[in-house]
Amino acid sequence: MTRIRATGLKKTFGARTAVEGLTFEVQPGEVFGLLGPNGAGKTTTVRMLTGLLTPNAGTAEVCGVPLPLRDEGTLLRQRVGLLTEQPGLYDRLTARENLAFFSRLHELDTAKTSALAQRYLQRFDLAGREDEPVGAYSKGMRQKLAIVRTLIHQPQVIFLDEPTSGLDPESARKVRDVVAELAAEGRTLVLCSHNLAEVERLCTRVAVVKNTLRRVAGLKELRHEGLSLEVRVAGEASKLAPALQTLPFEAKPLVEGSMLKVMLVSEEHAPFVVSALVQNGARIYSVTRAARPLEEAYLELVREEA
Amino acid sequence: MSEHSGFRWARVWAVVWKDFLDLRKNRGLLWSMSALPAVLVVVPAGVVWAYVRKPDDPNLHLMALYYDSSVKSAEAVTFLIDKVLTDWFAVYLIMPVFVPILVSSHAIAGEKERRTLEPLLASPVTSLELMIGKSLASLVPALAICWVAFISLCLTVDVVAWPLGQGPLLPNGMWIFGVGVIAPLFAFFGNGVAVLISARVNDSRLAQQMAGLFVLPLVGLAGGQFGGFLKAGGAYYAGLGLFILLLDVVLMWATVRLFDRERLMSRWG
Repeated sequence: MTRIRATGLKKTFGARTAVEGLTFEVQPGEVFGLLGPNGAGKTTTVRMLTGLLTPNAGTAEVCGVPLPLRDEGTLLRQRVGLLTEQPGLYDRLTARENLAFFSRLHELDTAKTSALAQRYLQRFDLAGREDEPVGAYSKGMRQKLAIVRTLIHQPQVIFLDEPTSGLDPESARKVRDVVAELAAEGRTLVLCSHNLAEVERLCTRVAVVKNTLRRVAGLKELRHEGLSLEVRVAGEASKLAPALQTLPFEAKPLVEGSMLKVMLVSEEHAPFVVSALVQNGARIYSVTRAARPLEEAYLELVREEA
Repeated sequence: MSEHSGFRWARVWAVVWKDFLDLRKNRGLLWSMSALPAVLVVVPAGVVWAYVRKPDDPNLHLMALYYDSSVKSAEAVTFLIDKVLTDWFAVYLIMPVFVPILVSSHAIAGEKERRTLEPLLASPVTSLELMIGKSLASLVPALAICWVAFISLCLTVDVVAWPLGQGPLLPNGMWIFGVGVIAPLFAFFGNGVAVLISARVNDSRLAQQMAGLFVLPLVGLAGGQFGGFLKAGGAYYAGLGLFILLLDVVLMWATVRLFDRERLMSRWG
């Protein structure tokens, strides 16, 4: 059963359209990336899908609950978890009290919740500090506690806004491991992130949003559209980059020492690139076709005129 | 996990529990809350003590004549003590208005300020449950403070007024009715104003300042009474209570209508 199905979702604030034309589906066990620049409408999208904002147009279904909501949306919020961009914890309360509050709001069994919370706290190296006020926590500790709070009621769909923001590499790895495990358990995760390396590691599909839906695609599909040509030359590759400007098609160069990476939209352009380089005196050792970095595909999509 | 879609008192109590816990650990707010009752007890007790200390002072008779030309010299001190205790109830009413303003502003606008509102609204709690929980968390301490202050006022005034030899002055019928019926109506009013304002601004101090303006009419009334322009009494305060009851009904209607998730999110986010 599809966990999230959005069809033509749109949200406006007064005359400003925050986001429109959102149509996508997310399945159980999938880690789905929601990408876009700041102000692109990612947070608004998540708020609509968690029932915090009512769409002005379009419909959706999340965990079997139709949107726009016909009631207060309590059932929806019992089935989804939301990690907000800011941890949003009560500073004067301890970690245990923060978690107890949300357990009570979800009307959870105290003994079961305590055991689950303890497991996560241990995993995120917070065990032993659960009775300290959260105000004394570091940024990373707060973020980890907010993640525990998001997972405490074992939601079917989990929305994570920048989950590894402010975390050290070891903690970030732990969070990624937990995300992968939750997906393996059949839970659905939606990851909003600017960290494309993390998206590449975790997600199978992404939606690129910039006030409108630019694209929904699998990561492999995105990376294999277009082409990255890696040309290794003798000497500094930077001297050869201007030669590509004379070509009648777009060939974006990226120089790394003696390596020239050229982004192309079509394989047909590759021979012309090699020819232009040779004509400008390049001594080429090797030419390799590589998958296009996600960053390139992403930037291309967000730079496109809607 | 059991799923409950209707109104749940368990979620209301969760909000009350968290807000009480937060309040208990907020020393600054606790000090602010306790300063006002301390003043409201000490000042009238001090005035009564001053009258009792020199009951035959001819100036007391002059003061009494200003308010009522028929007062005899021997009755001046009891007249003035009765007047100050009756008029002081208008000042006392500042407390049940102001304390909920302090707590509610902190509890609602403070959630926005500390960025805790979004996770809270993303939980299963409904807008009505949240509103009731926040209101109870503000009204219960406010009324508790009012009643503790009233008991302290009774004890203090009776101790200082004892030399007059007429037995305890407080509690009297007007004060019991006032503290039991009118003060809760005023507390409800203060809370309603603070909830409405807090739902629309992002800063708890701004919410307190704006809601605090609603205390000014009470200060004006008290000024009018002490200046001799208004004559307070049981009927006067009952009329005031009835007026506030009407305002409470309007505020409750507005709060239920305006305190919703979408409005809170879009005005804040």
